[in-house]
Amino acid sequence: MNAPIIDPLQGDFPEVIEEFLQHGNMKCIAFNRRGTLLAAGCANGSCVIWDFETRGVAKELRDKACVAPITSVCWSKYGHYLLASATDKSLTLWNVMNGEKITHITLQQTTLHARLHPGSCTPSLCLACPLSSAPILVDLNNGSSTVLPVSVTDNTNGNAVSHPRNKFSDGSLPFTPTAATFDKHGDLIYLGNSKGEILIVDSNNIRVNALIPIPGGSVVKDIVFSRNGQYLLTNSNDRVIRVYENLLPTKGAAKELEIMSDTNDKFPRIEKLKEVGTKCLRLSREFQDAVTKIQWKAPCFSGDGEWVIGASASKGEHKLYIWDRAGHLVKILEGPKEALIDLAWHPLRPLVVSVSVAGLVYIWAKDYTENWSAFAPDFKELEENEEYVEREDEFDLMPESEKVKELVINQDEEVDILTVEKDSAFSDSDASQEELCFLPAVPLPDVPEQQDKCLGSSLKLGDSNHTGSLFSVEAAQNGQAILPASSPFEVVGNSTPEEAVGTAGLKRKRKPSAKGMELQAEKGRKPQTKNKASGKLSKPKSRSGDGIDTNGSVLEDDVTDEYL
Amino acid sequence: MSTPGPAQAAPASPYRPYHMSRTLTGHRRAVSCVKFSNDGLYLASASLDKTVIVWASDTFATVATFSGHSEGISDLAWSSDSHYVCSASDDRTLRVWDVHQPSNGCVRTFRGHISFVFCADFNPPSDRIASGSFDQTVRIWDVKSGKCIKTIEAHDEPVTSVHFIRDGSIIVSASHDGSCKIWDADSGACLKVLIDDKTPAVSFSKFSPNGKFILIATLDDTLKLCNYSTGKFLKIYTGHVNRRYCITSAFSVTNGKYIVSGSEDKCVYIWDLQSKQMIQKLEGHTDTVISVSCHPIRNIIASAGLDNDKTVRIWIQETA
Repeated sequence: MNAPIIDPLQGDFPEVIEEFLQHGNMKCIAFNRRGTLLAAGCANGSCVIWDFETRGVAKELRDKACVAPITSVCWSKYGHYLLASATDKSLTLWNVMNGEKITHITLQQTTLHARLHPGSCTPSLCLACPLSSAPILVDLNNGSSTVLPVSVTDNTNGNAVSHPRNKFSDGSLPFTPTAATFDKHGDLIYLGNSKGEILIVDSNNIRVNALIPIPGGSVVKDIVFSRNGQYLLTNSNDRVIRVYENLLPTKGAAKELEIMSDTNDKFPRIEKLKEVGTKCLRLSREFQDAVTKIQWKAPCFSGDGEWVIGASASKGEHKLYIWDRAGHLVKILEGPKEALIDLAWHPLRPLVVSVSVAGLVYIWAKDYTENWSAFAPDFKELEENEEYVEREDEFDLMPESEKVKELVINQDEEVDILTVEKDSAFSDSDASQEELCFLPAVPLPDVPEQQDKCLGSSLKLGDSNHTGSLFSVEAAQNGQAILPASSPFEVVGNSTPEEAVGTAGLKRKRKPSAKGMELQAEKGRKPQTKNKASGKLSKPKSRSGDGIDTNGSVLEDDVTDEYL
Repeated sequence: MSTPGPAQAAPASPYRPYHMSRTLTGHRRAVSCVKFSNDGLYLASASLDKTVIVWASDTFATVATFSGHSEGISDLAWSSDSHYVCSASDDRTLRVWDVHQPSNGCVRTFRGHISFVFCADFNPPSDRIASGSFDQTVRIWDVKSGKCIKTIEAHDEPVTSVHFIRDGSIIVSASHDGSCKIWDADSGACLKVLIDDKTPAVSFSKFSPNGKFILIATLDDTLKLCNYSTGKFLKIYTGHVNRRYCITSAFSVTNGKYIVSGSEDKCVYIWDLQSKQMIQKLEGHTDTVISVSCHPIRNIIASAGLDNDKTVRIWIQETA
């Protein structure tokens, strides 16, 4: 909604740690589709839902039966459900709104990554990548599972047949961890196996339809789609992140692929699959650090797919590498001395959250720089100084023509105050589906007795002086300065008025123009006139005129003195 | 079409005038603000007598009277689910009241402003409140914890109104310093200055229902509809009197599209949105009409009068 007035020149990748979230020992994270809620799986088996706007805990999903550390969390498409996998080999599906457990299934292996089918709003199918076996498709309704093929051999022509719809009945293959993901609509499953191949599997009939060998041929650790489904990245053991362009249409990809694989029959099976594979994915970029040869952790795309981020956690590092899709490394962000274990990019904003081994979630955001031209609409911002050549008639007095300029707008044109345009970032949103974006905020009640202490107690002030008087302005200011026990960001947000005024003065100073100087001079003059002015103004202009008269002017003066 | 309801009459249909239906006398001092809840079940009114009264919007019986503020109240806001009402008071606090369980009274007090709190608004998910104050700041509060999340040094004079856009991403604020500014609700950054004149003071600003335009009132008897992305004024509504008070106005969209505003000549004015013609002047109040509110579904207008009047008046559309 704010899109039309956002400054396009501000970069769109994060730069600094803005804040950190602390609640238990968090292990893995996931944003909901709109980025309004952040789910975190904890070491004690619970899942915490953070309201990402207020950065407060909106809900805790907890159950006596779920006590093992969570390995992954995944939202359903419309955010009503959350799937969590844990080290006790279980998969748990939660109803986010009421905090109830819907299903709890125990598999034969611990799942490292579990992903819900992205196509439906009430998901029953999920893809689980276990610790040391082939990925399986699990039906959450009845607990039945289907093992996915992890390799293709030439002699069998119906690979799926060798893996009956059963649990690991025969233990036929020596499995190694395999990464897998659904495509955007869940028609296909992209699988990265230990031989360094990407297999594209139809999620309905579990048939391998294409095969793409990865250069280097080493074990695939991660395989991730961009949010729009147009790009796929793989992270291999050879320390390279590869970005592929998805050549299949995002809608109806399965059908397209089936037609392709059915049509040409003259090659042997593997050749044929490879041939089809070249029509599915095209390698576009490779990212690696040639010097240090880092093993990448948790790589992913930015929300708009323009950036790729990978992390390094070697020797307790917490480093984020950001590349643009053209292949240039644009930023290395260095975090605290706690190894990174998970990472997620906000679906809409230039914002990254990372989880450290200590169980804290760090929020990386843009180092916001004030856009001064926003304050003066008729100013233009320059990259550097330039000589100004005035127009011939620039300082001629032509009041008439200026007025005319403003009136050019046709006031009779119809305006539409009701129609809402669809959010382009969510082109596929189905308006009929109610999306769960927020959990209702219930205000925590005040401490009933001694209302004046509220300030102190709610701000966790150890030694606040409860003067209890109306004039405890100073206390309030102190309170706010001390308030953010945990986060550096909030200190800025709640700076005392003195500081803030200081910066306000600064912002005037930085405006390099005659008008700016003028404003500044005016600002300097203000204190003398202020008290009088506000006193005068409070009476005639305020809605609640009398209330101000009774105690207003005294207070106001007191306050303004403090303030200036 | 005779009964009030979600009747979406064609814009071409002839205008049916409003007439006074009820006079609510519950307040002992000037009424400063009236607002219908988003579900249309309640009407809340705030007053200089330090109370908030919640009325049922069908019978106009009193549902709850909230008292607790130590000074008069200037503004009200409803949470999206119509569960809570927030009041902004001269005692420098904001309070949130539970309408579903009125016996709970004040659920939460928000302290931090160092002068009168003059205006307030919930964001659409209702997990945050924005407030504007005579201390010239706009503050963003976390509803749950009651903490001040952000303090924006927004203006050089008292802030007269704050309003969230429909998706909560930006806030518009107006001030006596003659400016009207748009802020990013997350970062608190100034995104745009719509008006930057010393005079006249900007007394009210509000996003249109679709969030594409801003209705701006200035203390020179003028209401303007502004396209904020281009910064152009598309429509100008005049005829009423507004020189001293921060009078609120409203979009009426339940039957045709109108702009409704109070006035210092004790009337409620209704303009046609498109033609800018003043089409009706509702007479009855005995003092300045400081606040108006349109029912979200039915064709009802509520208005509030200052100290010589002390009433809330309910206007309904004449049945055909």
